[in-house]
Amino acid sequence: MINPRRTSSLRRTQQRMAVLFILPALAVYALFVLYPLAMSLWGSFFIWKGLRMVEFAGLSNFSRLFVFPSNARLYGALWHNTAWFFGIMVFQNGVGLLFAWLLFLRDRGAAFFQSVFFFPAVLSPVIVGALWRLLLAPGGVVEWALNGLGLHQGSLTVLGNSHTALGMLIAVDAWNWMGLPVLIYTAGLRQISGQIFEAAKLDGAGNARMLFSIALPLLIPALGTLTTLSFINTFNQFDIVYVMQGVQGNPSYATDTLVTYFYRLAFGAEGAVGITDIGLALALGTMLFLILSMGTLLMLRFFDRRTVQL
Amino acid sequence: MSALAISRGPALSRQLARLPGWMVLIVWTSAVLLPLYILVVSCFKTTAEIYANRLGLPTSWAFDNFVRAWTHADLGHNFINSLIVTGGAVTLTIVVSAMAAYPLSRYRLGWNAIMLGLFLSGIMLPIRLASVELFTLMRNLGLLDSLTGLILVYSAIRIPFAVFIFANFMRVLPSELDEAARMDGAGEVRILFQIILPMVKPAVSIVAIFTAIAVWNDFFFPLIFIFNDRYKTVPLAISVFVGQFRTDWGLVFASLAISMAPILIMYCLLARQIREGVGAGGGMK
Repeated sequence: MINPRRTSSLRRTQQRMAVLFILPALAVYALFVLYPLAMSLWGSFFIWKGLRMVEFAGLSNFSRLFVFPSNARLYGALWHNTAWFFGIMVFQNGVGLLFAWLLFLRDRGAAFFQSVFFFPAVLSPVIVGALWRLLLAPGGVVEWALNGLGLHQGSLTVLGNSHTALGMLIAVDAWNWMGLPVLIYTAGLRQISGQIFEAAKLDGAGNARMLFSIALPLLIPALGTLTTLSFINTFNQFDIVYVMQGVQGNPSYATDTLVTYFYRLAFGAEGAVGITDIGLALALGTMLFLILSMGTLLMLRFFDRRTVQL
Repeated sequence: MSALAISRGPALSRQLARLPGWMVLIVWTSAVLLPLYILVVSCFKTTAEIYANRLGLPTSWAFDNFVRAWTHADLGHNFINSLIVTGGAVTLTIVVSAMAAYPLSRYRLGWNAIMLGLFLSGIMLPIRLASVELFTLMRNLGLLDSLTGLILVYSAIRIPFAVFIFANFMRVLPSELDEAARMDGAGEVRILFQIILPMVKPAVSIVAIFTAIAVWNDFFFPLIFIFNDRYKTVPLAISVFVGQFRTDWGLVFASLAISMAPILIMYCLLARQIREGVGAGGGMK
């Protein structure tokens, strides 16, 4: 049945066909993703005049990042991104676990609640940001409701106050993405065999005990996925800040993030005169690339080692 | 469905014990739905009415704000641009990714794993950080201020995820499928598009749904590549509106409603597939 000459000619045809089939996807991907990314990393070692590479500069762009006037922006943005990440871990991925557990304990309505909770996640962050900017504005509906309930007096300026603005953006982001942990945790919970919970129940374990002692250790892969996704998303945070607080991260850079700072350096909105500093932007980009890839790898390893095998 | 739903104790006290849990779920449901409700009713109100009557239904269901947003603020134009870019990027991504995934998952080439790895590494790459070089490239190719440019960039970004999904679905199809077709003299292009692709329809819909959501919602690339009002997409236009029509709340609410309408319709039709897709892979962004 199998003819060796036929097989080898098939192999050769397949090699040729494979190249033709892969080429379009590879060309688009390499040209618009791999090439610009590689050039950006390479370019961070050069001095730039406008959009032109001038001469090799070693690490000088990187050292400029850490001195005046860039250092204040850099440390501010790093701190805001870090706070954002931990805020999301607690208020989105932590509260999301509670919601998922409550839905898992109920045999009715889970699909409905999941669909409602996830709905904001399919909206553009621009729309979510714009909506909450209107709701939270002075004279907006949140101010009206808080005044009516006697919880607040006068004009609501949470977005204009440098002590509260970042917290508000984190809350809006958590509102936007709450459905994601709920869906991922419930999918993880449903994979756990029901017998395990039955046995624990017979041993007299309560709901809280079952959640923390039995479900949580088995949800490590889900938690790992969520932590990694949240890490990548928060360190790429841009849209919500831009729409709600402007590209400067107002008020007085209190909501500035690494990507808004990168955008200002690269496309000319940093400082009073709005000059671009491509060398500095690329150095920041390279640093952020390293933070993201190292962080992601470490997290994947961390959670992989702690995965419980049954 | 749930393993814990098995009866323990009298029904009434069991339901009572669950009351606090239901309250928590209902509180978050209202936290999600109330802002959306306010958004919808505010679309039909004048700015004065929005201030006077916060939560109530509008006095009349007038479509003035929608008409003004669509024509006066020219959102209609942005809407068509977004449709073209989303449709183009989804089509291009599906065609080239399915083509690449077919040999990578079903031929024995010797270099399948390396090539697949090269594509997969792109799922995590922070492409925004390459935007300076991407800008220079687009300018040199004459692709600034063009919908074609956006379609190409979005496809490039979505190809890794699409190749990953297609390869996973195609790998598990029985090999007799294409062998039989080959015996009958069918060419490889026909085998892919008429035999393999119809067998992996769930993969096609996952890729189409998540590519469409990501592209329709994106704001960053239009922000840096589009300067001419004629080519602006919906999210870019919205980001301008919130500043420009700051005091005209009815108009801004109506533009928000228009811009989320296609996604809302898609979500209502496909909520189950989206829930399952996210739960299975978390491969959203």
